[in-house]
Amino acid sequence: MKHSVIRISTERPRLVYAVVIALVAITGALIGRIQIDTDPENMLPAAQSDRVFHNAVEKRFTYHDAIVVGIVNETHPDGIYNVESLGALHRLSNEILALDGVIAPDLASLSAVDNIEQEGVGTIRFEWLMREAPITAEQATDIRDKVNRLPLLKDSLVSGDGKAATIYVPIASKDLSYPLSQDIHALIAELDSSDDYHITGLPVAEDTFGHDMFVQMGISAPLAGLMIFLLMLYFFRSAQLVIAPMLVAMATVIISMGLLTGLGFTVHIMSSMIPIFLMPIAVVDSVHIMSEFADAYRPGANPKVVISRVVDHLFKPMLFTSLTSAVGFLSLLLTPIPPVQIFGVFVAFGILLAFVLTITLIPAYIVRMNPLSLDKLATRSKTPHTDTLLARTLRRSGKFAMRHGKLISAFAVLGIAVSIAGINRIEINDNPVRWFKENHPIRVADTVLNKHFAGTYDAFVVLTHSDKRAFSEFVVSAHNLLDNLGDRYSTPIREMLAQDPEDKGAWYGNLIANIDDALFDAEGPETIDTLERLMALTEDAQVASKYFQRPDVLEYISGIQRALADSGLVGKSNTVADVVKVVSRELRGGDESEYRIPATVPAVAQTLMQYQSSHRPQDLWHIVTPDFTSTAIWMQFKSGDNQDMSLAMDFLDTYIADNPLPANIEMRWAGKTFINVVWQDVMVAGMLKSLMGAFVVVFLMMAFLFRSARIGLFAMVPLSVTILGVYGVIGWIGKDYDMPIAVLSSLTLGLSIDFAIHFIERTRSFLRSSGSFAVAEQQMFEEPARAIARNAIVIAIGFTPLFFAPLVPYITVGAFMAAIMALSGVTTLILLPALMSWAGPWLFPEMKMKGAFSVAATRPAHA
Amino acid sequence: MFTRQLTALALLALGSTAAADALSSADEIIARADMASYYAGADGRSEVRMIISDAQGREQRRQFTVLRRDVDEAGDQQFLVVFSRPSDVRNTVFLVNKHINKDDDRWLYLPGLDLVKRVSAGDKRTSFVGAHYFYEDVSGRRPSDDTHELIETSDSFYILSHAPKDPGSVEFSSYSTWIDRQTFLPMKIEYTNPAGDIYRRVEVFDVAEFDGYPTVTTSRVSDLLTGGKTDMQFRYIKYDVGIPDSVFTERSLRTPPRDWLKRPAE
Repeated sequence: MKHSVIRISTERPRLVYAVVIALVAITGALIGRIQIDTDPENMLPAAQSDRVFHNAVEKRFTYHDAIVVGIVNETHPDGIYNVESLGALHRLSNEILALDGVIAPDLASLSAVDNIEQEGVGTIRFEWLMREAPITAEQATDIRDKVNRLPLLKDSLVSGDGKAATIYVPIASKDLSYPLSQDIHALIAELDSSDDYHITGLPVAEDTFGHDMFVQMGISAPLAGLMIFLLMLYFFRSAQLVIAPMLVAMATVIISMGLLTGLGFTVHIMSSMIPIFLMPIAVVDSVHIMSEFADAYRPGANPKVVISRVVDHLFKPMLFTSLTSAVGFLSLLLTPIPPVQIFGVFVAFGILLAFVLTITLIPAYIVRMNPLSLDKLATRSKTPHTDTLLARTLRRSGKFAMRHGKLISAFAVLGIAVSIAGINRIEINDNPVRWFKENHPIRVADTVLNKHFAGTYDAFVVLTHSDKRAFSEFVVSAHNLLDNLGDRYSTPIREMLAQDPEDKGAWYGNLIANIDDALFDAEGPETIDTLERLMALTEDAQVASKYFQRPDVLEYISGIQRALADSGLVGKSNTVADVVKVVSRELRGGDESEYRIPATVPAVAQTLMQYQSSHRPQDLWHIVTPDFTSTAIWMQFKSGDNQDMSLAMDFLDTYIADNPLPANIEMRWAGKTFINVVWQDVMVAGMLKSLMGAFVVVFLMMAFLFRSARIGLFAMVPLSVTILGVYGVIGWIGKDYDMPIAVLSSLTLGLSIDFAIHFIERTRSFLRSSGSFAVAEQQMFEEPARAIARNAIVIAIGFTPLFFAPLVPYITVGAFMAAIMALSGVTTLILLPALMSWAGPWLFPEMKMKGAFSVAATRPAHA
Repeated sequence: MFTRQLTALALLALGSTAAADALSSADEIIARADMASYYAGADGRSEVRMIISDAQGREQRRQFTVLRRDVDEAGDQQFLVVFSRPSDVRNTVFLVNKHINKDDDRWLYLPGLDLVKRVSAGDKRTSFVGAHYFYEDVSGRRPSDDTHELIETSDSFYILSHAPKDPGSVEFSSYSTWIDRQTFLPMKIEYTNPAGDIYRRVEVFDVAEFDGYPTVTTSRVSDLLTGGKTDMQFRYIKYDVGIPDSVFTERSLRTPPRDWLKRPAE
């Protein structure tokens, strides 16, 4: 097969070109179907249980994606409570209400919410908090006094220090976040306000992220391509030689991305990095061929023969490096995070594609070069390499490694120890907002708003009550009572009782209405008596089912809130208990001592019915369901860091352990901040599995390739040291272990094994041909070492354009790719020979027999 | 809306010509519609079942009895609203003294808190106990609060457009009514917000005659922005039952007038 591929490439170069061009054209056209996905929820599979529950909660309590407009006034003594600021807020809020795509009834701003207050003795008043913009300073500060009495608004709609206010703009669809935020920007520009305005919120962040991803793919990836081109040009001094690998790289990237989009996969933050990963990897193989061809070619030789020999010779190591790199990336399949899996699969595909393109397109390219250029290439590319700084440095470092083998090995052991200590210090943490650079408007808004408010990050603890036993007892009792009734009345009621209703609230209401109707029709004292007893039974069951109206339960919820507030881990929490307390206080005269939960269920029910008599009765259903079987403790966090969220979760677990939940209550977390924690946990565990899986598979492949478990193990040294080293550094410098950092482990594995394969394979063949370890090592530090070093440098520097990417994860990846290449290049070129210098006989026992490691043979022969 | 229609006298006086000859004065149509909707008989009682649903179809129910007495024909009125269901709000009472020339007086009694509160007149366009009906819909919006314009007279309806005299006091910028030419009951009302969208709709589905007065028996208010709606069923309707003035006093808040709340025999 190998030979027929080489034959076709060299005999029918036009055919190879045509096929590649056709593939690129077709897949290139498919890239037009690109769909960007920036929803962090998609880090979890659609059926993942926390995600399913989170979505159910969003529906249950009607949570919409919202754009958050922040207004800050740091200079006025009354902060935001001045005529100009409130006037601007009022106008802006009304203008936003009129925008298409804004869910007007749920918009929250000072001018769109209700106030409930005392109006003289014995009178309560429900009114818009700020129906008209204030005209006098007194009116403005009057609004402050009102807000300060409304704990649901304070620190949510206006900051506790009075310096900042927000407008929460719920939107009908995430796709509208960009046009709507642009509209809002335009409205703000018209305001003529001296306040600072910030626009943020998750949909805006996601949208901006999507935009920046395009920038990364459209600018950083081509820049990386250019960088690699220039570097290779520097090393090989021949544009013609360098163009071929660039063609391979471009074809690889276009076909892989075209296939990805064409197959209907969305481009997530991970997959947006595919081009920038494939580019250097694709270049590497071609560089091996091109440089070996340039070495082997003599003017006047038949290029077909030379290239066929070169490809034949490099086929096996290239296949193995490609396969092992692909395995490294395929191991990402073990991490159950779909975007990571898609990334792994398509990078792996791209690597194998690059291999195929390299062994077909490069020979085709070479046989089509005209003989004159080939001659020039051969002469020009050979001479400069043996006496460059790189060549001299490598020779010296090779000798150094051989001479101080044991010392270097000892240093490596020390380095590993330090790295392991560093790894133990690693902090697992992530926060998608931090994926933006610090001076990014979204980061700025995040910082400013969380300085003033109780927090712009949401999470929910959802309590759900379900008492199946009580329900079936009710049904049995009801059936028993119905035995006393004639069919006319009992049949329809029995039919209802047979149902297992989802919405118990509606079901009880309907049942009661049926009994009520029957009561009106009924004649005879016995029938009426039975129906009345049934009615009483049903009404009792209905009241009992409205669990989150119970004062003791609301007190329990208040207890959770108090504990959370005391812990300092949560900025603020809002619950139905707060609503009950506020309305109850105003009903009882407004004194702060009346800020408490009434003593009985009817008192709570009637208090809530008053709350529902506002302009926004539907607000109640954001914190409790209409059947009162489920309620949400809405928490605001000042930080979106997973660690902070996890601390709150742990705290609540401890609290619940000490203060057990009432019976028949299920407690579950939801909310975007929580979802981030879930997928990160999945990611950390998954990455470890991926790494272990890849490690084992790569080791087996190495043992197979070298037909030796010892050498297989030896080949794992550079990547192991690199992984430990890189993560050790992360631990020591205190960089959080986040999504991009997690993915790097597999990349390291895939890339550093390349160097080891080439190094060991070449050493072994030199060892065999020379019969002397010293000679073999000397030969190693000529062309083979240069090839490895060149590759390490090309890839490392090729990733540097990522430093200019707009998003932090790309910068992280760029920096660490450079570090990984540097480290694995150094370990391969220094540590491997150092280890060989004393462990060589153990590694190559058959060569030991032949005396390759004898004293005479270890003394380098001076050429 | 909770109560009825032209007095029998008025009907007699107008004779059969009322339906045949179309009226051309918007103010007159509105005056008659107000009579038809809120002033049937000298007094009346009705039981109301409200099914409040949100966009997801989740329901809350409220059941209450309304007693009404006209102090003056087409003038001041008294309303007593006593809740019977769900049982946790049972015996919650609203008392409204509706005045034509000054603000209404409103009281609220919450038995669970044993609390009588005066409710400030303030804004009457807030939700009535969580329903999509407003307080103002209970006792009726004063015709004098709006300007009225007859847009079209179809075979069955007078179609009018109304604009508030004080736009700052209401959430709508205009509304349209479809008034039945026979009964003068508004059969459909659509409210338009300042953005120009119809956001709220009131529809009447069934009308039946009680004691000679055509009366709405099923109707619906839809909130077109949230997707929620409230369905109302009016039953056990009776007019001219002779409810005394004494029923509409603060005493009835704590002690609902059992005799008057009892369902009438059919």
